[in-house]
Amino acid sequence: MSTNTQAISVTDLHKHFGRTAALAGLDLHVEAGEVAGFLGPNGSGKSTTIRILLGLLRADSGSVKMLGGDPWDDAVALHRRIAYVPGEVALWPNLTGGQAIGILAALRGGVDEAKRDGLLERFDLDPTKKARSYSKGNRQKVALVAALASDAELLLLDEPTSGLDPLMEQVFTACIREVKAEGRSVLLSSHIFAEVEKLCDTVTIIREGQTVEAGRLDALRHLHRTTVSVLLAGSTSALASVPGINDLVLDGPKATFTVGEEDLGDVLEALSRYSPRSLVSTPPSLEDLFLRHYGGLPLDPAAAKPGRRAHAHAGGAR
Amino acid sequence: MSSATAPGRASRGTVASTGSLSGVGMAVKFILRRNWLRLAIWAAVLAVMIPIVYGSQQEAFPTQAARDAYAQVANTPAVAAMTGLPYAAGSLGGILVIKIWMTLAVALGFASIFLVTRNGRAEEETGRTELLRSAALGRHAYPVANYLVAGSLSVVTGLLISLLCLGLKLPTGGSWTMGASIAGTGLAFVAISAICGQLATTSRGANSLAVALLALFYFIRAGADLQANGTNPSALSWFSPIGWAQNMRSFGQDNWWPLPALLGLAVLGCALALRLETLRDLGAGILPERGGPATASALLANPLGLVLRLQRGSLLGWFLGAVVAGLFFGSVARAMTSVLDPNNPFAKSFVGTGHDLLDGVMGIFVLFNGLLAGAFSVQALAGARSEEESGRLESQLAGSLSRFSWLWAHVLVAGVGSAVMLLLGGYLTGASSQGAATGGAMAAASFAYWPAVLLMLGVLLFCQGFIPRPSTGIAWAVYGFSVMAAMFGGLFSLSENVIKATPFGAVPRLPAEDFALLPLVVLGVIALVLATIGFWRFRARDLMPE
Repeated sequence: MSTNTQAISVTDLHKHFGRTAALAGLDLHVEAGEVAGFLGPNGSGKSTTIRILLGLLRADSGSVKMLGGDPWDDAVALHRRIAYVPGEVALWPNLTGGQAIGILAALRGGVDEAKRDGLLERFDLDPTKKARSYSKGNRQKVALVAALASDAELLLLDEPTSGLDPLMEQVFTACIREVKAEGRSVLLSSHIFAEVEKLCDTVTIIREGQTVEAGRLDALRHLHRTTVSVLLAGSTSALASVPGINDLVLDGPKATFTVGEEDLGDVLEALSRYSPRSLVSTPPSLEDLFLRHYGGLPLDPAAAKPGRRAHAHAGGAR
Repeated sequence: MSSATAPGRASRGTVASTGSLSGVGMAVKFILRRNWLRLAIWAAVLAVMIPIVYGSQQEAFPTQAARDAYAQVANTPAVAAMTGLPYAAGSLGGILVIKIWMTLAVALGFASIFLVTRNGRAEEETGRTELLRSAALGRHAYPVANYLVAGSLSVVTGLLISLLCLGLKLPTGGSWTMGASIAGTGLAFVAISAICGQLATTSRGANSLAVALLALFYFIRAGADLQANGTNPSALSWFSPIGWAQNMRSFGQDNWWPLPALLGLAVLGCALALRLETLRDLGAGILPERGGPATASALLANPLGLVLRLQRGSLLGWFLGAVVAGLFFGSVARAMTSVLDPNNPFAKSFVGTGHDLLDGVMGIFVLFNGLLAGAFSVQALAGARSEEESGRLESQLAGSLSRFSWLWAHVLVAGVGSAVMLLLGGYLTGASSQGAATGGAMAAASFAYWPAVLLMLGVLLFCQGFIPRPSTGIAWAVYGFSVMAAMFGGLFSLSENVIKATPFGAVPRLPAEDFALLPLVVLGVIALVLATIGFWRFRARDLMPE
C-alpha cells in the first residue's frame, strides 16, 4: 500500500448494542507510518472501535477504512497485513504458549522464526508451558510475540501492557520504536500516559463513544493553558487584575495560575512589573489533557461541569 | 445485583470462625441463587415422569389378569439389560419400576455430575473460585456447599417421586424405596463427580471422566442383570452403585439395607474429594500437568487441524464408546432374541411391528448407534460456540481466516466424525452378532441415521447464527426431545405419525423396516437449509463473547 494512504480512517462511526450506544459519532485517523495513541476511560468505546476495525463487529453507520479497505468486506485480505493484540488474551488452556504463537502467526501467513525466537528471549517467555498456567502478563506476551514477529503494516494494540511489569514495558517500548523505524503504523490504546507520551505521534481522546480531542501531541498542548508558578518580591494580590491570568491561587509571595498560549506574552510583560524572583512554567501534560475531559483535576473550571454537550463541543471546536 | 454482594456481606458476618468450613451457609445460598431454576427444572421433569408413565401403564394393563400375563413374559434379556430385572411385573408398581426407574436413576446421575462440575471445576477454571476464596471463605466451604446443593437435588427429587407414588395410591413401602433408591443413585454420583472434579484440571475433563464412570457402572449392572438367576442378579451387581440401588427392589422386597451403602459412598466419596483438594493447588488437578512443544506443528497451523487437536480427547472417547457399544450390542443380540416373546406388548413397543424379531432387536441397536452419533455431533459443534464465548475466536479471526472457513472446520469434524461413528458402531454391531447380520449391512443401516444427525447440526448452526448465547442449550433440548420421541414415543402413547415426524423417528429402522429414501432426503434438505441460513447469519452478525 502506498504510504500516502491513511492506515486508519474512521468518520462519524456509530454502534449500538441493543439500546446502549457504544459509539456515537467517533472519528479516528491514523496516517501511515505513525504511532497513534487512543485514550479513553473504561467503557468509552476503544475496544468496540478496534473490534469494528477487525471486522468482528459491524458498524451501524459511518465510514470506516483500514489500509484502504473495508474492515468488514475485506476482512480476510486485510488481516494478512495487520496484527492484533487484545486487551484480554484468551488462549487454549491445553496448548502451550509456543503452539498458540504458531497458530496465530500461521493465520497471518507464517512466522519469521528468528524474529520470534528473539522476541521470546526479550520478553522472557517460556513457550513450552501450557497456557493454563500463564499469568495475565504471560498471556499478553504470547499475543505480543505473535504480533511483533509478523511483518504486519499495521498493529492494533488494545491496552497491550496492562499486565506487563515495568521491565517488560521497556521491552515493549523498544519494540514499538523499532516498528516505527521500519515505517509501520500502530494504533495503541492505553491507559498509561507516560507510555503514550513516549511513543505516540498523535493522540485521540474519546469519551462516551465520541472523539473529544485529537491531533499531534505537541499541537494539542498549544491549545491548552500552560500552568505558571511565580515567586514575587512584592504583593501578589495585584495579579488578579492582570488580563489573561486564570485559576489564580495565592500563597503569600507565591502565585500559581494558568495562561493561554495567546496571552502568554502579555502576561509575562505584566509580570515583569512585579519583580518576579523565580518562575516555573509547565506545559499541559497528556494527563492534564485527558483529565480535563473527565473532571478529574480540571485546568479549566468549565470542564468540571458534568454537561456532556460542553465536551462534545470542545471536541468539535478543536 | 444482590447476588454479587452476598459473598462479601456474609463472609464479614462469619469472619469470627476461621475453620475450613466457614461460610458454607453463604456459599449454599450463593449456589442456589445461581442454579435454582436449573434445579427446579431437573426435579420437576424427573418427578413428573411418575404420573405420566403410571397413567400410560394403567391404560396398557388395566386388569390384574393383564398384569399377570405380562409378568409371565416380562423377564427378557432386553428388559434386563436395558432397564433391569423385572422382579414384580405383576403389579402396577413393579411395572412402573420396569418402565421408568432406570431412566430416572441414570438421568439423576447425569444431573448430579453436571451440577457438581458446573459449580466446582468449571468455577475454578474460570477463576471465580479464586475470587471467592480470597474472601473470608473456608477452604472447603464452597465445595461442601456444592455437594450439599447437588445432593439436595437428589433428596428433593426422591421425595417428590415418593410423594407422587403415594398420591397414586401405590403401596407405601414401595413408594418410599422407589424415591430413596433413585435419590441414592443421584447421591452416589454426586460423590463420583466430586472426585472426578479433583482429578481433572478442566470441567470438560471432569464431566467426561464422570460420565464414562456412569456408563461403566451401567454396563456392569447390565452384565449382572443378564447373568441373572431368575430375577436375582449375579454378584457382579455389587460392583456398581446403580446395581446397589436396583437391589432395593421397590414394590418387590423393598430392601432398605443397600441405602446405607449408597449414602456411605456419597459421604466417603465427598470426604475423599475434599481430602484430595487439600493435596493440590487451586486451579491444578491431581493428574499431573506436563510441558509441551514450543512451536505449533504444521497440523495446528490449519483451522481443521486445530479443531482436531482441540477435540482430540473427546473424539477418541466417542469413537471408543462407539466401538464398545457396537461390540456389546452385537454380542447380546442373539441371546436377547431367543427369549423374546413376539406377543409381549413391551417388546412390541420397543422392537416395532417388523416380522422378524431379530431384525427388530438389531433395529433398536442401530437406533442407539444413531443417537450416540447425534450426541457426539452436538457436543463437537458446540465446541465452536465455546471458542467464540471464551474470546479465542477473536484472535483467530483477527488473522486472515474467514468466518466461513473457521466454522466449516468445526462442522466438518462434527459431520465426518459422526459418519465414522455410525459406520464403525454399525459394522461392529453386525460383525459381532454371530451371524445375525453382516457388518456391512449394519454399517449401512446405521449410516441411514446420518441425515438425522446432520439435522441436529443444522439446528445448532441455525441457533449459533441467530441466538448464539443459548444455542448449545437449545440444541441439546431438541436432541433430548428427539431421543425421547424415538425411544419412548410408543411408551408415552405418541401416535406412529408423530414419531415419524421427529428426526430419529423418521429414519427407517433397518433392518426391521424397509428402506425408504424420502425421509432421509427430507431430513437432509431441512438440515441443509437450516445450516445454510445459520452460516449466512453467522457471517453477518457481531461476534458475541460471553
